[in-house]
Amino acid sequence: MARVEFRNVRKEFQDHSKESFTAVAGSDFVINDKEFVVFVGPSGCGKTTSLRMIAGLEHQTSGDILIGDRVVNNLHPKDRDIAMVFQDYALYPHMTIRDNLSFGLKNLKKPKAYIDQKVKEAAAILDMEPMLGRKPRELSGGQRQRVALGRAIVRDPQVFLFDEPLSNLDAKLRVQMRVELSELHKRLGATIVYVTHDQVEAMTLGERIVVMNRGIIQQIANPTELYAKPRNMFVAGFIGSPPMNFIDASIEGGRVVVEGGSFELPAAKLDALSPYAGRKLILGIRPEDIHGEDYAPGLETSPHRMNTHIQVVEHLGSENLLYFHIGGRLVTAKVHPETKAYPGLEKPFIFDMRKAHFFDPDSEQRIEI
Amino acid sequence: MQTTASPKRTSSGSGRFLREYGWAYLFILAPVLLFLVFTLYPVASAFVMSFQQYQVMGSTWIGLDNYKHMIGDDVFWKSIRNTVIFTIATVPVNILITFVLAYLIFQMKNKAQTFFKATLYLPAVASGVTISVVWLAIFDPTDSGLLNRFLGLLGIDPVIWLGQSGTALFSLILMNWLGSHGAGIILYLASMGGVPKSLYEAADIDHASGWTKFARITWPLLKPTTLYLLVTGIITSFQVFISVYLMTQGGPNFATTTIAYLIYQTAFQFYEFGLASAQSFVLALLIVIVSVLQFKAFSSDVEY
Repeated sequence: MARVEFRNVRKEFQDHSKESFTAVAGSDFVINDKEFVVFVGPSGCGKTTSLRMIAGLEHQTSGDILIGDRVVNNLHPKDRDIAMVFQDYALYPHMTIRDNLSFGLKNLKKPKAYIDQKVKEAAAILDMEPMLGRKPRELSGGQRQRVALGRAIVRDPQVFLFDEPLSNLDAKLRVQMRVELSELHKRLGATIVYVTHDQVEAMTLGERIVVMNRGIIQQIANPTELYAKPRNMFVAGFIGSPPMNFIDASIEGGRVVVEGGSFELPAAKLDALSPYAGRKLILGIRPEDIHGEDYAPGLETSPHRMNTHIQVVEHLGSENLLYFHIGGRLVTAKVHPETKAYPGLEKPFIFDMRKAHFFDPDSEQRIEI
Repeated sequence: MQTTASPKRTSSGSGRFLREYGWAYLFILAPVLLFLVFTLYPVASAFVMSFQQYQVMGSTWIGLDNYKHMIGDDVFWKSIRNTVIFTIATVPVNILITFVLAYLIFQMKNKAQTFFKATLYLPAVASGVTISVVWLAIFDPTDSGLLNRFLGLLGIDPVIWLGQSGTALFSLILMNWLGSHGAGIILYLASMGGVPKSLYEAADIDHASGWTKFARITWPLLKPTTLYLLVTGIITSFQVFISVYLMTQGGPNFATTTIAYLIYQTAFQFYEFGLASAQSFVLALLIVIVSVLQFKAFSSDVEY
């Protein structure tokens, strides 16, 4: 297994009118040996392009890519010692599962006994021995996904690359495969680079997560840090479901003032926010940090209260989502199902200001407090 | 539990069925009638005719005599031989030419692709008569014939391409090789475009060489198209007629008489409609047998 490194890697594409479009703008990162790193971001953010550049399926416009200690800039995909699982699985439809698994090893001219052994091992790991004689179309989506994984496993590559491998599966199967992928990573001890647009997948699978937007890496951190200390408004809004609420605010007389109310802040936080006194800033608070007054364990005595009119209530069973407006922005609160709520009800909400974030409205960067 | 069907409900049920589906059956009826009158009836009456000495005013039943006469006729066997040689010589070569051209065009950029698709499809739009006239000029046996003039540059004497037994059938085969491949090219291009790019990328990562990618991915995935072109190609070449009729009239000495041309001659030159019907049925039977065998041998259930 091996580490993967990007040194100021840039990728530009030209469209039909010869205008160039920057897909990846100068990426720098190191993925450590045996690490499971997830690239996440919206469509067109450059995550898949980054993965394809590691694979050698796209060539970077500038910068260096290293796998292990080798610079692989000009190496053909086959010489990079990587294996890739594609979004559409890319199984050879006319070959049996056995042939699909052994195709790469046969091309490497490995002895038949070795190939048989490897196929058998992969089939055992992924529990697909009974389907070796079948063709891909005879398998379900989940089974095809396993075959695609198996095809990567038999090769014993230095790095596994996954391009949105679960996006074609239904929600239930996706959860199951997520668990299997995590276990597989532990079992193989492999370096894995995984691309997804699904932040839940990223948070559950990744040891570290690379958040990208418009070709630029926004933050690289482990899931806990990403959630607790998002570097900017994009990361804060992208990680977490429902996304973080952003409310226009200002600092006046030692209080955070929003439309319809204000919150007192501890002196330490006020110090950090003092340069913003009298200026606009953005208060960021996650839906799970806003509670109904009647069910706010540990926060019963909190002074950070505000009355609002509930507009919409969504019952999700284990929790309810309440929607209301503050300063023209729609705000979501994720509350305990026992919280009394119905549309039109005016009630006090408690804002857990210990977990509140503040962002500079111009740079959209989080203010460290 | 007992159930009783109410007659009223049944009649209203069939009434509703007619109301819902009556129009659909009416629309289907039109093409079905056309098929019955203009296809099935002529085929059935030709089958009956093959057992008759046909005359406009009352045919006579002669049993298997037409078939016996046909089997004993040397020209019939020669026409079968010519047709089989023509088919074996043209169909695989045509498929190869079509495939190679499609493969080359597929690598090109959009505008070049459109140009070559249109250019190579042109002969399919031109009538067989026009093309035959052009080829008559190419095969002209005198020194002014295009092919002979070209051979003259190489110091080779003029050849009577269509006028001698040794070269006549080959000339028709050559004309067929260099004829229209447009339809096949379009089909192959569509199939090639349908092969997911990710398969080639997966193969790249799987250490596949260019040849392996072609032999193990491209060719097998294009098998359904190849099979289609093979079956339709064989059916068409079994029925080859226009080029024979316009360029050689089956000669010299029956060297280019094919089954289809023989049927035409028997029916419209010798007015032996019963015998021509028998020959037609043998041709149809041959085509069915060959097609079934091909499907059995090559059919594939490739999923794209």
